[in-house]
Amino acid sequence: MILNYFKTAYRNLIRHKSYAFINVSGLAIGLAACILLFLVVRYELSYDTFRANYDKIYHIYTQDTYSDGIDYTPGVPFPALKALRTDLPQIKSGALFSSFGSQVTIKEERETKKFIEDNGVFFADPDLFEIIQFKWLIGNPGVLAEPHAMVLSKSTALKYFNDWQNCVGKTIKLDNALDFRIAGVIEDAPYNSDFRLRVVGSFKTMEDTKTMGYTTDWGSTTSNFQVYMLFPDRLTEANVEKQLLALSKKYYKNEGNNKRLNLLRPLKDIHYDTELGNTGNHVIGRSTLLTLSLIGFLIIIMACINFINLSTAQAVSRSKEVGIRKVLGSNRPQLFWQMLTETNFIVLVSSLLAVFLAWLILPYLKHVVSLEEDLSLFNFQSFLFLTCLLILVTFLAGIYPSLILSGFKPVVALKNKINSATVGGISLRRTLVVVQFAISQALIIGTIVAITQMDFIRSADLGFNKDALLLLGGNTDTLVLKNQPAFKEEISKIPGVQIVSFASDMPSSDNNSGTNFAVDHKPDELFTLYLKFGDEDYFKTFGLTFIAGKGYDKSDTMTDVVVNETLLKKLNITSPELAIGKTLRIGGGRWKTICGVVKDFKTNSLREEVKPIMISSKRKRYQLTCIKLHTQNLVLTQKEIQRSWDKFFPDYVYTGSFMDETIERFYQQETQMALLYKIFAALAIFISCLGLYGLISFMVVQKTKEVGIRKVLGAGIGNILYLFSKEFALLILIAFIVAAPLAYYFMNEWLGNFAYRIDISPGVFILAMLTSLSVAFLAVSYKTLKAALMNPVKSLRSE
Amino acid sequence: MIQLNNIFKWVNTGGNKTFLLRDINLSIREGEFVSIMGPSGSGKSTLLNVIGMLDNFDEGDYLFMEKNIKDLKEKHRSQVYKEHIGFVFQAYHLIDELTVFENIETPLLYRNMKSTERKAAVSDMLDRFNIVGKKDLFPEQLSGGQQQLVGIARALIDNPKLLLADEPTGNLNSKQGEEIMDLFSKINKENKVTIIQVTHSEKNASYGSRIINLLDGRIEKEG
Repeated sequence: MILNYFKTAYRNLIRHKSYAFINVSGLAIGLAACILLFLVVRYELSYDTFRANYDKIYHIYTQDTYSDGIDYTPGVPFPALKALRTDLPQIKSGALFSSFGSQVTIKEERETKKFIEDNGVFFADPDLFEIIQFKWLIGNPGVLAEPHAMVLSKSTALKYFNDWQNCVGKTIKLDNALDFRIAGVIEDAPYNSDFRLRVVGSFKTMEDTKTMGYTTDWGSTTSNFQVYMLFPDRLTEANVEKQLLALSKKYYKNEGNNKRLNLLRPLKDIHYDTELGNTGNHVIGRSTLLTLSLIGFLIIIMACINFINLSTAQAVSRSKEVGIRKVLGSNRPQLFWQMLTETNFIVLVSSLLAVFLAWLILPYLKHVVSLEEDLSLFNFQSFLFLTCLLILVTFLAGIYPSLILSGFKPVVALKNKINSATVGGISLRRTLVVVQFAISQALIIGTIVAITQMDFIRSADLGFNKDALLLLGGNTDTLVLKNQPAFKEEISKIPGVQIVSFASDMPSSDNNSGTNFAVDHKPDELFTLYLKFGDEDYFKTFGLTFIAGKGYDKSDTMTDVVVNETLLKKLNITSPELAIGKTLRIGGGRWKTICGVVKDFKTNSLREEVKPIMISSKRKRYQLTCIKLHTQNLVLTQKEIQRSWDKFFPDYVYTGSFMDETIERFYQQETQMALLYKIFAALAIFISCLGLYGLISFMVVQKTKEVGIRKVLGAGIGNILYLFSKEFALLILIAFIVAAPLAYYFMNEWLGNFAYRIDISPGVFILAMLTSLSVAFLAVSYKTLKAALMNPVKSLRSE
Repeated sequence: MIQLNNIFKWVNTGGNKTFLLRDINLSIREGEFVSIMGPSGSGKSTLLNVIGMLDNFDEGDYLFMEKNIKDLKEKHRSQVYKEHIGFVFQAYHLIDELTVFENIETPLLYRNMKSTERKAAVSDMLDRFNIVGKKDLFPEQLSGGQQQLVGIARALIDNPKLLLADEPTGNLNSKQGEEIMDLFSKINKENKVTIIQVTHSEKNASYGSRIINLLDGRIEKEG
């Protein structure tokens, strides 16, 4: 019986090829998009889930409450580790310190290899490896109890020594200062982990040598020092938080305006925390994953709507067959299942095509989402998902048309009295088209807003010069600092170089170190002051403008300081001239004089407001060399700079990058999102138009007689076109009215993430509306024109 | 076998009742060959549809094989006409997507017959009508007469007691029409199948044993 149904379904498809094509392609594309989204979301949700004790691993972070807001840092003060071990002995605590941009030097007989590990060099203790477990190929966690011991991942060992099995005992120098001996090799972490530890030195090294910023001071916290905990069974989060509260009271001074507290977050939140971040290579917010899933769901709905509309419209031409089958003895349930089987057949064919499409597109996913490995299409979970999807789509898309078709009265059907009016459900079909176009239009509006915002950000005036600015990362050890002045002098002579300056970081950066401070010999202010350090040429290099006073003179330590407008605003100093000469001190240090005020520039990504900033000189913090180049001969100039670098800093890796690229990377996730929106908007419009094309084709067939009569009575081509156009133009208008407020609300929410944002102008909506109308019109123009040009004699010929 | 008592059927057209069938009283015995005749719009096809239980009536009683079909539930009713009644149409109404073999087979699919049994029954029928060579062709590849032949084969495949034919030769030329009517005769005499046909042609009516004339939904005279 089923075979008979499949046979009929197959032959039906062959007979109505264009209908089959529209239906199958629309469904296939929708299914493919759904599959890909599923793979991505599932992958992102799988991070670190393979770890033993997954739900008992926690990470401690720090919350600081100021009078002007709350700040979070993923790090804890260094002494907190010992305090946790003493006060909460039943919990295992492990230390993980990360150093990004550290250089690894391997001296071999024939060559010296230098690497900068982009993914970071870590320091850890044995306890950490009991919490974040790895498979040990050589050695065990205990090797990290000794100072100057280092553990490498298998692929890193291969990279450094061309051989991992015999690398134990070899030596490595870190940052040209610390020596390490290889003591163990661990298995490479899988890609879906936020702990891809490749180079791990023993934490004891830091404690013993007091390097890498290690201090026993409770007052300073760096986000690079993190502590992870493994809870024993039956210990709850609430329980531990209470103990942490007691610990905070005991160790933190919590005086004045700062209340400090330590809080917990479980391992399962770490991959999704956009505020605190993680030690992996990306974070993805849960809301983003939700949006992606929602988009996948919407696309499937649209493909199903297509199917329903087309099948119902096609019901007219199937009516005769239905009538015959009923006369021959089929009852309604049997017909219903026959039609549903046909739907199933089409869905099956579509899904095969969809799997093929998904397989083709998989390698390109990397451009749209931050993935490092290629996802695999063929595994049990995907198969299960696909099957569920098939069943869902078959029922969603098939139930309504099958019900309609099986309900025909045989006599009426055989007399060909079934037309689109009696099939009914016109209002349902219209509603479905409205839904489709509403979704498309919402996506189009979203895309336009996202693109406009990203363009705005890219071309926004940051308040400083970012063109042709080369940044060289480096170190601040004594050797480097000694050679810096000579290096600067030499490269300043290169014809392509305009000006050179040393600094702690560039004017716009994601890292800002903050401190408490005081002005005018008054007590400490209630808000945080953020610091940047740069030499006397800093301002000229970045084109920062002074609105009062001037910069400071050349000095190795802090002498005078420069502040920005925002600081004055927060201090209620009305005129910039008034600020010159006032005194300022940071932390508990000495009082310095304000010698200049710069016009505000964007201190962070445009997601945040400008922070109050102080700029001063401090040679010990000059890890960045900032070089403003002439725009011609960039490549040549860079080569010369590199040659100079290698001459002065032979042991240090040359890392040059342009400032505008670095800034672009702030917005990497948003740029990817904008690309995703574009893709899905295009998909949505495509599917909607596919459906519209099918529907209009049907309308044309149904209205053949009417068009013929109208032409005989004197209608012109324009009138006929109007006849068909008004049907869908009205629907698109209604769809727009539904979509616009929804899209406006969501995009407003998204724009709220940015401190600097565009306003959603009416132009956006008009553009979206026009786009939908013109694309829809294009889709149906061929068919409607053909109908309008048809010879009335042909259409009025009776059977 | 068939007993119609005071059958009325009407439709409501904007407030007024238009009668399709008026006070039909009719009795047909097993083995009869009846022709229903009358001008266009007299209700011939409607009457046939009512007899075949494809359409309802508004007043009166219909006893089929001594059972009042009003007492039967929908499921039983469809079972009754499935088992005992075969239909032949003027426009043949074959399923274009199926071959000749599959078209004839289709009623059996709804009888829950095993595949091998179905094959046997259809082969027999093809033999009987001498169309074995055409079993894999599609309806559009056959002539009008051949298509009607297939339609009749399909109607007879399950050995019905009653065959209803709505102008079976309407779309055929005289020679094809003759062949079909000869076939009807044969089935009626040899296989004892009761046949009720609607026809315009006097010649076709003469093949039957009885003629019923309809005018404006009423039985005019019986002959």
